[in-house]
Amino acid sequence: MRSLGRLLSCSFALALAGLAPAGADTFAIGSHVPLTGNLARVGKGMDEGIAVAVALANEDSKGKHSFELRRIDDETSPAKAVAAVERLAAEGVVAFTGGYGSNIIGPASEAADKAGKVYVTSGGVSPGLTKRGLKTFFRINNEDGYGRAMVGLLRDLGVKKVAVVYLNKEATVSIARYVERELKGAGVEVAMAEFDESTKDFKPVINRVKLRDRSEAVAMVGYENDYVGILRAAAVLKPDVKAMVGVWSLATSQMNGEFNDLMQNVYGTALLPYPVAFQGEEAKRFGETYQRLHGKEPDYLGQFGYVQTKLLIEAILRAHDKGVLKTGGLSDELRAAKGETLIGEVAFDPAGDNPNFAHRMGQHQGKRVEIVWPTATATGKMNFPGVSW
Amino acid sequence: MTELTLQALYSGLLVGGAYAMIALGLALVFGTMRLINLAHGELVLLAAYIAFEMERGYGLNALAAIPVAIVIVGATALLTYLAISRIRHERELNSLILTFGLAIVLTNLILMRWSADIRSTSNGWFQEGVVLGGTLFSMRSELLFFLIGLALIGAVHLWLAKTWNGRALRAVASNRAAATLMGVNPARVEAFSFVIAGLLASVAGVAVYTASVVYPALGHNLTVKAFVITVLAGLGSVPGVLIGAVMLGVAEALTATFLKPSLQELAAMVIFLGVLFLKPSGLFGRSNTVRR
Repeated sequence: MRSLGRLLSCSFALALAGLAPAGADTFAIGSHVPLTGNLARVGKGMDEGIAVAVALANEDSKGKHSFELRRIDDETSPAKAVAAVERLAAEGVVAFTGGYGSNIIGPASEAADKAGKVYVTSGGVSPGLTKRGLKTFFRINNEDGYGRAMVGLLRDLGVKKVAVVYLNKEATVSIARYVERELKGAGVEVAMAEFDESTKDFKPVINRVKLRDRSEAVAMVGYENDYVGILRAAAVLKPDVKAMVGVWSLATSQMNGEFNDLMQNVYGTALLPYPVAFQGEEAKRFGETYQRLHGKEPDYLGQFGYVQTKLLIEAILRAHDKGVLKTGGLSDELRAAKGETLIGEVAFDPAGDNPNFAHRMGQHQGKRVEIVWPTATATGKMNFPGVSW
Repeated sequence: MTELTLQALYSGLLVGGAYAMIALGLALVFGTMRLINLAHGELVLLAAYIAFEMERGYGLNALAAIPVAIVIVGATALLTYLAISRIRHERELNSLILTFGLAIVLTNLILMRWSADIRSTSNGWFQEGVVLGGTLFSMRSELLFFLIGLALIGAVHLWLAKTWNGRALRAVASNRAAATLMGVNPARVEAFSFVIAGLLASVAGVAVYTASVVYPALGHNLTVKAFVITVLAGLGSVPGVLIGAVMLGVAEALTATFLKPSLQELAAMVIFLGVLFLKPSGLFGRSNTVRR
């Protein structure tokens, strides 16, 4: 009986070996993303982009190599993210892609570094992340890119008084402080209002803007649920402002479809207009694959997830070809990556940051999101002054 | 300054009314069975998502979801009770673990069914502003559910005080064994209290959906808020729930207006701890201490 079992096992192994081409390798890529908890929505968005990158890499490497994504839901918890990284590293993944929230990415990427694994993300923009001296940490976006876009738009709008309403998380505080510093430097009067994630009623905050600060524009730095709360409070209290400006998760197809009335004339960072108009072969292929895999149009989260993972996969292949993948060469290969991507030019500095990252500003206009800043890349005319009420 | 203060007080009052509606179901179960249903926030959330489903899936007004939510959430609450009733040892502690587990299950079922996207009503009627006296602003939904909440709290108070079932519930809360000797079936009364909690959670859930934004992870926050108010109010006190909730709501709104919005949760907790320090049995709780 035992001999028969051995014979069957050997036959199965030989059959598999016959199917795989000579020299083919399977690369396991680890990923931890929040699929539950407070950051589930953004985590899922990034995860969808990662899945597209892996699917396209498998299509391109068919017959040569294959890529396997091992993904764990970190439940928006730093401790669970660290546990996920340690587990996946022990399973032998070659590198990590994913992570959302600077406070989660910090400890998770340190765990990856201890295991000697490269970690690439687009979910943490806090400046502190690239000041830790980790040789294995990379990110394709950063606070400066978001902050520059927000400040650039506000300066071009010519407003003299701005209220910055921001969530008291590491990354949001960091961007809010950047906006405050830059606007004050440009002679703009700035009023700061920090809120907590438990804040559900924003009327007291907006009433302050209306009656005390008398700001001309409101800069919102938070997440989707915060924006909806702030905009609803503003729609009720109707402060005399000329523009409502936000950062991520705002100028998206989801917000345009779900809260169309509330979003009218609201600005947010965006890479592409909505409906998406992809230019170039790679972008079109990304859009089609995304639609095929997820049954919807991609948003910026998917684009970021795709770009970070694509860069990682390309670096893995280069390191493999040079025979340095298992000797710590992946980090050098990724750092050497340079070129145009779906989010613009990416090149990593010695700290793993992408100093070329620059965002654009979109504005909800009817059932569309038009890119309105900078003028050079604008797809539509800006509605200013303009609010939703 | 006066305008800011008045608006802060008004906003706090409305928020407090919503908090009271969320907390009342939990307080009722706590008062009857000395159990904390850690899945209460998820029951509220389930009702909110039922409102979403009725509105987006069937094109109905969110208010029309209340009867459907009462059936589904009431049945879920009853199932929770049936699971708890099978606990034979250390019911207080084990029910915490059971309801905590149930909360996780409900959260993930909601996540699977409705995804992680944020949801809220798309019906503009609920979001329209209502201005009282030219200075007090609110959304229609906030004012509407504040009034509904007040009516429900009054009804529960009267029901507990005036009806046989209400008195039976208080009797079980006071002394289970003595109530049994008086012909009350404690199991039936406890099951009934869970169903009533489900009913209250249903209305609260629709209120949250129309006035705010819901997402799968919200349930835990609602449970914590409801628990704080229940303890602040004192065991089994319905007026205490309302007063405690309004106190927290007003403290939060004043803090957000005059200090920092991020400190509002801290302000609420300071009040909570202060009341417990001065009055450990809560605002309207009966002290168990016997003075000699």
